Amino acid sequence: MVTQAAKNEVHLEPGLKRTIRFRIKRCDGPGKPARWENFDVPVVSGEGVNVISCLQWIAEHPKTAEGADTTPVVWDSGCLEEVCGACTMVINGSVRQSCSCQLDNYAPLDGDTITLEPMSKFPVVRDLWVDRSRLFHNLKRLKAWAPIDGLHDLGAGPKEHTDDQHVRYKISECMSCGCCLEACPQFHQEENEENWDSSFIGANTIAQARLFNLHETGKQLAGDRLDTLAAAGGVSDCGNAQNCVKVCPKEIPLTEAIAAIGRATTIHRVRKFFRGK
Amino acid sequence: MPDNPSFLERHHFLLRRLHSLTGIVPIGLFLILHLTTNSSIVWGSFLGDSGVAMFQHEVDFIHSLPALVLIEIFGLWLPIAFHSILGVYYAVSGSTNTKSYRYGGNFRYALQRISGYVGVIFIFYHVATLRWGWSLPGAYLFDAHAASSTTAMALRAGSENPWQLAGILVGLFYLLSVLLLVYHFANGLWTAAITWGLTISEQGQRRWGYVCASLGAALMVMGVTAVVGFVTLDIEEARQIEASLHTAQQPAVETTLAPEDNAH
Amino acid sequence: MPAAHPASQKRVIVVGGGLAGLAAAARLTEQGLLVDLFSIIPVKRSHSVCAQGGINATNEVARQQGFSEWLHCDETLYGGDFLADQPPVYEMTHWAPRIIDLLDRMGVPFNRTNEAQRDLRLFGGSLFKRTHFAGATTGQQLMYALDEQVRRAEAEGKVVKYESWEFLWPVIEGDGDGRRCVGIVAQDLRTMQIRAFRADAVAMATGGCGLVFGQSTNSVMCNGGAASRCYQAGAWYANGEFIQVHPTAIPGADKCRLMSESARGEGGRVWVPRKAGDDRDPRTIPEEERYYFLEEHYPKYGNLVPRDIASREIFDICVNQGLGLGGKNMVYLDLTHKSREELDNKLKGILEIYEKFAGQDPREFPMKIFPAVHYSMGGLWTTYTSETRRPDPRQDLQCELDEIVGMKLGAPNSMSTNIDGLYALGEVNFAFHGGTRLGANALLSCIFDGLFAGVGIGNYVNDGPGVDEVPQGVYDEVTNQEQTKCDALVRTAGADKGENPYAIARELGDEMTAASTVVKNGPRMEEAARNLETLRDRFQNVRLSDGAMWTNQNLSFTRALGDMIVLADVVLQGGLLREESRGSHYRLDFPERDDTKFLKTTVAEFDTATNRPKISYRDVQLGLVAPRARTYGKTAEKASGESKEKKKETAGAGA
Repeated sequence: MVTQAAKNEVHLEPGLKRTIRFRIKRCDGPGKPARWENFDVPVVSGEGVNVISCLQWIAEHPKTAEGADTTPVVWDSGCLEEVCGACTMVINGSVRQSCSCQLDNYAPLDGDTITLEPMSKFPVVRDLWVDRSRLFHNLKRLKAWAPIDGLHDLGAGPKEHTDDQHVRYKISECMSCGCCLEACPQFHQEENEENWDSSFIGANTIAQARLFNLHETGKQLAGDRLDTLAAAGGVSDCGNAQNCVKVCPKEIPLTEAIAAIGRATTIHRVRKFFRGK
Repeated sequence: MPDNPSFLERHHFLLRRLHSLTGIVPIGLFLILHLTTNSSIVWGSFLGDSGVAMFQHEVDFIHSLPALVLIEIFGLWLPIAFHSILGVYYAVSGSTNTKSYRYGGNFRYALQRISGYVGVIFIFYHVATLRWGWSLPGAYLFDAHAASSTTAMALRAGSENPWQLAGILVGLFYLLSVLLLVYHFANGLWTAAITWGLTISEQGQRRWGYVCASLGAALMVMGVTAVVGFVTLDIEEARQIEASLHTAQQPAVETTLAPEDNAH
Repeated sequence: MPAAHPASQKRVIVVGGGLAGLAAAARLTEQGLLVDLFSIIPVKRSHSVCAQGGINATNEVARQQGFSEWLHCDETLYGGDFLADQPPVYEMTHWAPRIIDLLDRMGVPFNRTNEAQRDLRLFGGSLFKRTHFAGATTGQQLMYALDEQVRRAEAEGKVVKYESWEFLWPVIEGDGDGRRCVGIVAQDLRTMQIRAFRADAVAMATGGCGLVFGQSTNSVMCNGGAASRCYQAGAWYANGEFIQVHPTAIPGADKCRLMSESARGEGGRVWVPRKAGDDRDPRTIPEEERYYFLEEHYPKYGNLVPRDIASREIFDICVNQGLGLGGKNMVYLDLTHKSREELDNKLKGILEIYEKFAGQDPREFPMKIFPAVHYSMGGLWTTYTSETRRPDPRQDLQCELDEIVGMKLGAPNSMSTNIDGLYALGEVNFAFHGGTRLGANALLSCIFDGLFAGVGIGNYVNDGPGVDEVPQGVYDEVTNQEQTKCDALVRTAGADKGENPYAIARELGDEMTAASTVVKNGPRMEEAARNLETLRDRFQNVRLSDGAMWTNQNLSFTRALGDMIVLADVVLQGGLLREESRGSHYRLDFPERDDTKFLKTTVAEFDTATNRPKISYRDVQLGLVAPRARTYGKTAEKASGESKEKKKETAGAGA
């Protein structure tokens, strides 16, 4: 399945024409059967062609490789520069943003095949578009915010040491794309919203706990967050496969965050036990 | 969370941490002692008269402990049962995806679960046949007074001839299981440091990984040594040594060090 | 579908969940109002995340070096070529330091100095370091902070989010001056359900319209559709012809990716080889054979001239002088002289983008960049209540006036469109930036807009008559109108043939980019207007390729395309009638600024009879800074056409 390109860097002369075969897993809606459709997309090297531009081409030319008329493929996208997280999908079996999947590197050979599937850990809305509301629900579950007094002018915020800023900035780049969850063997699709709060919360949200617990005002809710993460579906459901950190497009040190929160949770619970509250 | 959280959900954190803890103490610690003891069948001959004597001496020591059954029940069998049952419950909630994500960590994760399953089966078989005397296929009862010879017999499925199919299978089962259990312990030790938050930075995790890998490698060497040592043991000779030890020394504990002294 | 607010309580609909929408939502809930927040995408994925470089505000270091809120105001007005009404700019720049403090309290990880102070960087249009930043993903960081606060309000039941809902039309009650906006009609993009929502006020915070130009630095939803619909429903659209072209972007097949101005703020140098067609490895080209044209032409501001100027200089170098890299409209943006560590600390986000999308490490190789459509200064016309005050001795240190004019906080018309109850915030609001927006002022204007106008909207709602009495028929009428439009489009999917919407969109973008971006002229814009006519006709025969009534993106795209064509008309007509050059609007046939005729806001009103814009002009409210020539200290040497010729020769002679 993996194209030659993924393995060897091939340098392409600009202006070369080639055809890329897209195999796309399609589904008309929740509960509808999935089907595969093939599309042959002509591309020219050196023009910055990526998976998105090919999907755009398919939208304009909705005909399968076999010549049958079909509908444009539905997919989610936004910024197209890998900061919004929208266009995440499973490409040739592994999860990533489709905008940064540049074909001159990824599929340099004529006839290379690229398989596109929706993320498997979230319910499909249609074709490649999945509903990731659970991600945002988890941020609520964790109270991922600084409980400030309000929007009035109350002077500057707490001073922050450069080292803390470095740690927090890196985590704060998390765009809730869900790659870490898709690749996590401990995170599963859960369509019943009632079970969301007791299902594994995932690396991205655990990292958010570190982000806010490091902030002077965010700290006010540290106890609540650690209680959430000590409960079912919390940090101890992590199986340490560490796929999260490998697939994170922003290279956020998720496993460090998990360990840091593991420590914080341990201390928090032991302290709480002996304090008797 | 649902309105009526289950016992597991109410005590989620405590159970998870106890699961992690029992894997290290007492189970992991016992594994180290057990493999050290058992591999003495080989290294015993370098320190003392023979491996058989050394092993017998150690077994005698263990069996001289007061209230051994209670120690076994509360120090070993219950923790192991707790760790196993909970471990299987946790493990089945995961779904391996090593096909798509071919990272080292992911393979370690998958192997941790496989080794856990195999370990549960093996430990049950091991204890049930050797300690409780259940007559499972290939079973052979361990006798603390003839520790080496009966262990060797057990590893050959009760036959004195080491090259019978049943014996080879049991031997291989032992070898594989011991390797997997050592892996399970070493990897578990590595992940426990993350779980408890002892190693946080990536570098710290990597370095602790080297420590765990070294420990694992050492234990694997001991494990292989022990299994190979027993499988290839000359049972006749072992029985003779055991018999001589048994008649020569009463009480056993005081005198076992004597042969070494005598040697000089 | 989220649980709705109780019907009896007063509520505001905010459309758009970027910086402006989120800031407004947070402010409104704080005033005890409920907010229904509509967004075409999950709010955390809004286009504000793309802003990279930073946010401008006076701080103590800058102040002690001679900077002040007043100078920030002056810079913004000067940068905007004096087209902006001055009171909003005054108010925004004076709120800026407090906004930074607020964001700081929310936990934005601003870069820090050794003493844990917020660090500053240099940005375009200023000689002072006055730009606060969080790495090179400042917009993302600021928006996440606001997103978190709104999520908190959501958890407390004060905000209900309608994500993946598309705004279709405002619901307007009454006629003439009595008109007011009492809700919206929107469509769930998953179920395709169309329905009306009541609200005491509606705040549009729907961003820019980059997609009208095809490939821009904008996100895929920035098509201006929502603004266009408000305009077609009677809201005025102002200064549509002012479109900012960012000088440094990375070309791609799907979009142009931004290379932040912060790259130049941190020392990045723009250059081309002095010799045309010099295809040596740029690293081997010796210093004296490099043409640092911005530094040579603008010794004072160097690489940090405002964006319209930099874009025109690049255009001149590439198109007129033929010095573009490989004969294309590309130049080098060079950071290779900076240390890897410093670059990673301050610019990692954008360097990684370049690395991923251009395939080269910008720490080792000069980046190849080119200008791309980036921001719309124009937008829905809004008003405010001005307030005369005494200048603040600290903030207005360099101000020589006895009194200044700012905006009155809490006035119910703050950022109101010409329709009562319909507000416009952020990029979709035309105020603040005049003829060109200075770098790192956008984040400021969006947050300021939400926070400031939020108070006024709150007062409007609390003092207003409410919408309980509005007959349901008013809502049903708009719902039916939208349902009919939707059904008609879906029906085309059954047709044998028809126009391909994606092809029309592509042609629209190409034409608009060619005729109405960096350098414009009358005849070319007229030609574009004629071509637009053709595209409009072709759009009448558009055919969908998807007739599904479930998650039909084909429908949503095509519907927006119709609205984009309407907006393109506004841009072209405004450009044609503005016979001068000002800020980003540069016309070869009218190269000078003409304050007598055009120190005015262009106002486009949609004529329902002809479906075309009626253009009129409104005076710009001055009162603070008198317009002066906008030269940025350009050296006289290059100002005349003659010396340009000479330069060409010298460049040629070097061959």
